[in-house]
Amino acid sequence: MSRENIKYTDEELIARFQKGDERAYVELVRRYKDRLLNFVFRYLNSYEQAEDVVQDTLMKLYTSAHMYREIAKFSTWIFTIAANLAKSELRRLKRRRVISIHNMGFDDKEYEIPSESYDPEKETTSAYGEKQIQQAIDTLPDQFKTVILLREVQQLSYEEISQILGVSIGTVKSRINRGRLRLQKLLKELKEQ
Amino acid sequence: MDCYSFEKIISDYIESNLNVKERQEANEHIAHCKRCREKLADMINILSAMKTLPCCQTRSDFESRLMARVDRYRQQKEHPFVHILHHYSRAISAAAAVLLIAATSLFVYTSVSVPAESATLPAAEFRGAGGNGSGLPAAVLNSAPSFANTKAEASQPDTSGAENPDYQRRIKMVNE
Ligand SMILES: [Zn+2]
Repeated sequence: MSRENIKYTDEELIARFQKGDERAYVELVRRYKDRLLNFVFRYLNSYEQAEDVVQDTLMKLYTSAHMYREIAKFSTWIFTIAANLAKSELRRLKRRRVISIHNMGFDDKEYEIPSESYDPEKETTSAYGEKQIQQAIDTLPDQFKTVILLREVQQLSYEEISQILGVSIGTVKSRINRGRLRLQKLLKELKEQ
Repeated sequence: MDCYSFEKIISDYIESNLNVKERQEANEHIAHCKRCREKLADMINILSAMKTLPCCQTRSDFESRLMARVDRYRQQKEHPFVHILHHYSRAISAAAAVLLIAATSLFVYTSVSVPAESATLPAAEFRGAGGNGSGLPAAVLNSAPSFANTKAEASQPDTSGAENPDYQRRIKMVNE
């Protein structure tokens, strides 16, 4: 089944699924589950919640496949759903983190500390470790965070990102540049701490 | 070109999106500006570190959990009435339990309340009156274990996700 599906593009698979072929759905799930997880995990910095968001995204694919129109690439459509769900989840998590930090008697400011899901053994060997980078990502304002992750982690094109976010390519380019500079500044601050 | 202008095109510089003239101006700037040269090298470092961040994978049961949710969704769509019953199964079992307790109490009460002093019977004696089976009909006694089962079933944590209020809320948020 999987082998014969290699010849189908994502767009052909969603078209088949729209006509009722459930195997096409399974194939799309297999193609996208880990890719989506990587994006959402970096966005939320929590594996459990990220996996839930990916489940919801793929569930949404099942229930709303009829909403997809071939004018967009399938990948941009599914990333749009994931980005929206991740955004709502982050808002919910932040509220919850603030509440739990309050209960522990810390300052509000400290709720951005990396969550319990971080595994220090995974640290990369480059000049910047995974921990530092994740910490900087967590602190990026949302308008930069999404573009930066879609560009640097998912390596999507400016055009794809512009479709996902529903903003012009010019806006995407400017946000990516400003987001990178902001990230660099945050990493510098983290290094100096 | 000054430092501010270089910052504005640093991404285009890295991604080779500048025309010949712009690129030349940028090169001239970094040739004599140590700060921007370092900034550029550092930025390239950060971006390459981001590209090589460790990837994570969904757990091995991810697909089976998802497909179970899909199945539930399909059943719900095909048999909405059955789904409603399933959805309110807790309420239904709770109502049944309340009814059963009420019926049992009434039965025990009527069977021991013949003498006037029975109203002040100590608990142990009260229990004894029904516990030996003499005061309660077999039907009520027999239904007791099944009542326990119903309760246990109803109080099991819901691992499905479809009935999870969080999930419902998230889906609702997307729909909005
Ligand atoms: Zn300079």
